[in-house]
Amino acid sequence: MKDVAIIGIGIHKFGRFGDKSYIKMGQEATDMALRDAGVNIREIQAAYLSEMYLPATSGARILRPMAAQGIPICDVEAACASGGVVLRQAMLGIQSGAVKIALVLGVEKMPRGFMDPGMIYEKWQIEMGMAVNPSYWAMNARRHMREYGTTELQIAKVAYKNHKNSVHNPYSMYQKEFSIEEILNSPVVCDPLRLYELCAPNEGAAAVVLCPREDAHKYSKIPIAIASCAHTIPMYSSDFRAPTDCMSAKITNPGPAEVTSSQAYEEAGIGPEDIDCFEVQDTDAFCELETYEKIGLCKPGESGRLIDEGVTEIGGKHPVNMSGGLISKGEPIGASHLGQIVEIVMQMRNQAGLRQVSNAKVGLAQVIGAGGNCAVTILKK
Amino acid sequence: MVPAEMMHKKRLPIREGLLTMPLSPLSEVQLLGSRCKGCQEISLGKGQYCPNCGDQEIKDFPLSKRGKLWTYTIIRHRPPGDYKGPDPFSPYGLGLVELPEGIRILSPLDAKISNLAIGMELELVVFKLYEDTAGNEIIAFKFKSI
Repeated sequence: MKDVAIIGIGIHKFGRFGDKSYIKMGQEATDMALRDAGVNIREIQAAYLSEMYLPATSGARILRPMAAQGIPICDVEAACASGGVVLRQAMLGIQSGAVKIALVLGVEKMPRGFMDPGMIYEKWQIEMGMAVNPSYWAMNARRHMREYGTTELQIAKVAYKNHKNSVHNPYSMYQKEFSIEEILNSPVVCDPLRLYELCAPNEGAAAVVLCPREDAHKYSKIPIAIASCAHTIPMYSSDFRAPTDCMSAKITNPGPAEVTSSQAYEEAGIGPEDIDCFEVQDTDAFCELETYEKIGLCKPGESGRLIDEGVTEIGGKHPVNMSGGLISKGEPIGASHLGQIVEIVMQMRNQAGLRQVSNAKVGLAQVIGAGGNCAVTILKK
Repeated sequence: MVPAEMMHKKRLPIREGLLTMPLSPLSEVQLLGSRCKGCQEISLGKGQYCPNCGDQEIKDFPLSKRGKLWTYTIIRHRPPGDYKGPDPFSPYGLGLVELPEGIRILSPLDAKISNLAIGMELELVVFKLYEDTAGNEIIAFKFKSI
């Protein structure tokens, strides 16, 4: 089985871009990744697109005008984890030897406001008033506060950290620091979660070019290896997720982020303590705290302490969301995970400017969303 | 002939297999669950497969009408899509209700939002949520504080 390396990265800023088409955004990210790799699009043997809100055959519509011809282009949807699924498929293709150079692209252009609940909930759940984001995380937060004494201040600290990091990320939708007071005084949206603690759905694109690691030196001075890339849906009753009708109170299986990160650690042959920087799903600030526990950065109930001690700040022992996270970047669903990958590659290439983590050699990116779809990718210099 | 307004309107569950039948009187209707013959796991609604083990030998299992609040949030803005709750909108609780059978059910909560608390005792209420365009009464559920 061949090892796989990332030889090119490209990103279109995340945000709102009016009439600019998803095609244009996808092409700009692709062009940047191909130039970075020094690869001509005619050398690409397989391409993959992750998206959730785009029309049919969007991959072909984006890439054919750029002269991608006679190659497979797969459009994939797995909610917030879509980008992990395409990266994994491309990785498997190269590992098998069937593909020599692959393009992995994530693009999204989402409607403003709340996401269409019909995309993830059933009609009866919408009619009864159960189809509200981020009620799932809000309920998890409330339970966590009860069981472990986690506080609203600790949740706000996550938002503070991520907004602060975003100031130095030119690809982020918001690049503005907020004080703890401003965050705690922002309107409650879904108790106990507040407006400045939530991410917004938006638009953007990100792309990476992959090849076998043994060929990577031909293209890139600093190829980054994919140590592992895992994707799973939840086990029975491991957790409650949108959409949900019930869960078992008797059977407690590990949650999707636990299972997927365990698979990724095992495949990479390392553990969370070996990882220098993380980009994780922060749909809301509590979600990031929960993720610390689920991916093994700390034991259950200790995530509040982690944020209090500054462990996850840039300069801390385990920096998380150096990019500003989804809270600052927004979440263009199909582009989200590949945006995280671009950030980690920049960190490892020492290209992250004022948000640079010193001496980053190993990084982890994690996404989780509807249906409990979760993806975890570990990259190594 | 019986005048239309005197005929009993037809009642339909908001989702097939979610409530015990008949839907009259409403005070006697329960949430319908399924129990797997193989692993004994109980889930909400009439099902074809056990979501735990995949067994297809599952039986109807009416669920208890009382439970305890396991966690909750407060919905402060009108939900997106075709929400059928009161107009004008008023904020409400949404929570996971733990039943004695050992399952937790997501449900709207009929309780003063300032009184919501983890562990509070709740009771099932089955009610008409709306009438559809054909004049059928659509029957839904919520849990109210005792």
